[in-house]
Amino acid sequence: LCSPQLQEALRSGALKPGLNVVLEERPKRRNDVDGLKQCLSEFRQPLAWVERLDVTLGQVLDPVSQNASNKDAVDPENDFQREMSFYRQAQAAVLEALPRLRKLQIPTRRPDDYFAEMAKSDQQMQKIRQKLKSKQEAMERSEKAKQLRAMRKYGKKVQTEILQRRQKEKKNMLNAVKRYQKGLSDKLDFLEEEQTSSKGNKKGSASQRTKKGPNAKRRYKNQKFGFGGKKKGSKWNTKESFNDVSSFRSKVAHNKGPGKAGKGGKKALNKRPGKRARQKMKSRAR
Amino acid sequence: GKWKNKERVLIFSSRGINFRTRHLMQDLRTLMPHSKADTKMDRKDQLFVINEVCEMKNCNKCIFFEAKKKQDLYMWLSNIPEGPSAKFLVQNVHTLAELKMTGNCLRGSRPLLSFDPAFDKEPHYALLKELFIQIFSTPQYHPKSQPFVDHVFTFTITDERIWFRNYQIIEEDASLVEIGPRFVLNLIKIFQGSFGGPTLYENPHYQSPNMHRRLVRLSVAAKFREKQQVKEAQKIKKTGSKVLIKEDPTEVVFETPSEEKPVEIQLVKPESKPIVKDKKKPRKIQRKKQKKLFRTE
Repeated sequence: LCSPQLQEALRSGALKPGLNVVLEERPKRRNDVDGLKQCLSEFRQPLAWVERLDVTLGQVLDPVSQNASNKDAVDPENDFQREMSFYRQAQAAVLEALPRLRKLQIPTRRPDDYFAEMAKSDQQMQKIRQKLKSKQEAMERSEKAKQLRAMRKYGKKVQTEILQRRQKEKKNMLNAVKRYQKGLSDKLDFLEEEQTSSKGNKKGSASQRTKKGPNAKRRYKNQKFGFGGKKKGSKWNTKESFNDVSSFRSKVAHNKGPGKAGKGGKKALNKRPGKRARQKMKSRAR
Repeated sequence: GKWKNKERVLIFSSRGINFRTRHLMQDLRTLMPHSKADTKMDRKDQLFVINEVCEMKNCNKCIFFEAKKKQDLYMWLSNIPEGPSAKFLVQNVHTLAELKMTGNCLRGSRPLLSFDPAFDKEPHYALLKELFIQIFSTPQYHPKSQPFVDHVFTFTITDERIWFRNYQIIEEDASLVEIGPRFVLNLIKIFQGSFGGPTLYENPHYQSPNMHRRLVRLSVAAKFREKQQVKEAQKIKKTGSKVLIKEDPTEVVFETPSEEKPVEIQLVKPESKPIVKDKKKPRKIQRKKQKKLFRTE
């Protein structure tokens, strides 16, 4: 193209201002429609459908595919979608063809006693089955491992919770006992709490014994042997403990009261005489 | 019944095919009982020799595999005496032996052929459909065939290519399992005659594998060249000659010199500024110096 022609083209608007490149013309692709049609008409064989067994049909329409719309929406790069579209097309063809075949009395199901050579050998099918089984087993194993891991985590959590609860309870109990020992609170509430929390629901209002708590013997033994705390410094010969005559039972000391058994069980109490009396006896014996 | 539809297909290949193509050929021979095998053809013979080979074997259809450069596989489908022929580029070949294809069918059973509706829309696809039907459908009452119909071949047109799949029909409610093989055909040309004759159709979307590889290489090279060009341009900019501006005498007209300040000499140290904690600056975290542990023997 020489310059006046270019100017003409620019003026008329065929060429836009800017850098223009001369494109080489693409070779025309042959599409001889008439030739194709003629060839097809010559080539076509007038065979019955039963010889050809061909079905030209779109996909099976189900609610899922209807949302996804027509085949144009199938993205060839999306493998799963593509294969599903082929599958659905095959399904549609089968659904259409099987009734026709049944009408023409062509069998489609192989009877169980019909043994013939298959396209893939038995060995091949065994290999396939092995592979599938191993895959399934691997999946199951991984699932089991995951579950075990989860359970272990859960078990550990529960265990720590229980331990913490126990420690808390122990701490509370000790504190309550110490307070009672020190005299800050003269209520044996902490003992009752233990009972009510465990058996309260069962006994309910019927138990009036809870007020007393454990019996005297139990309380004595608890005091002597149980509930922790310092025992070493608990018995001191101080003014208070000397003046404390609460554990003196006159009847026991003078052997005067009724015997322990009460009825007929008279126990002969060996009352040891005092020091002066013993000395008198000794000197008298001499 | 009597076997009337006398279709025979010759399936063979040229030299230089790889194992996958060989297995594909064998799979097709297993699936089609009306097929015949032949020895490999020498590359130096012209294509129309195939017509004579088929005549000798008394076949009226042909599937010919041609391998080039040990990489590209081409497939010819042809109707032998006078009919049309088509050349395809075959891609994505998966054979029967692949363990992911779990289905199985009787050897020699008749297939159901399923076509995409797009095959009826264009005349070249219609011609191809007829060719596929005549080649792939097993004639009824063929002596090597089984009377059952238990698998289906699907031909679908996606992405300007023809996809082939083979499914086994398990239940009457159309539950299918893939048997294989599977491949993708990319149409190149359709000829009026068998392995020759005027071209009826040329696929505009087809790109030869050589061209494809060349374009890939060119794009990589182009990227590299672009980078180099950018680098050179930057270099020129850096070392480029600075533009000299001529002195303008009228520039200094409005300049007034500033007053001269007396020179002050500081004799006393200035008081230090109060240290203000800059809360915006991040605190310097003093890390404890780790004691170096020495091994004592």
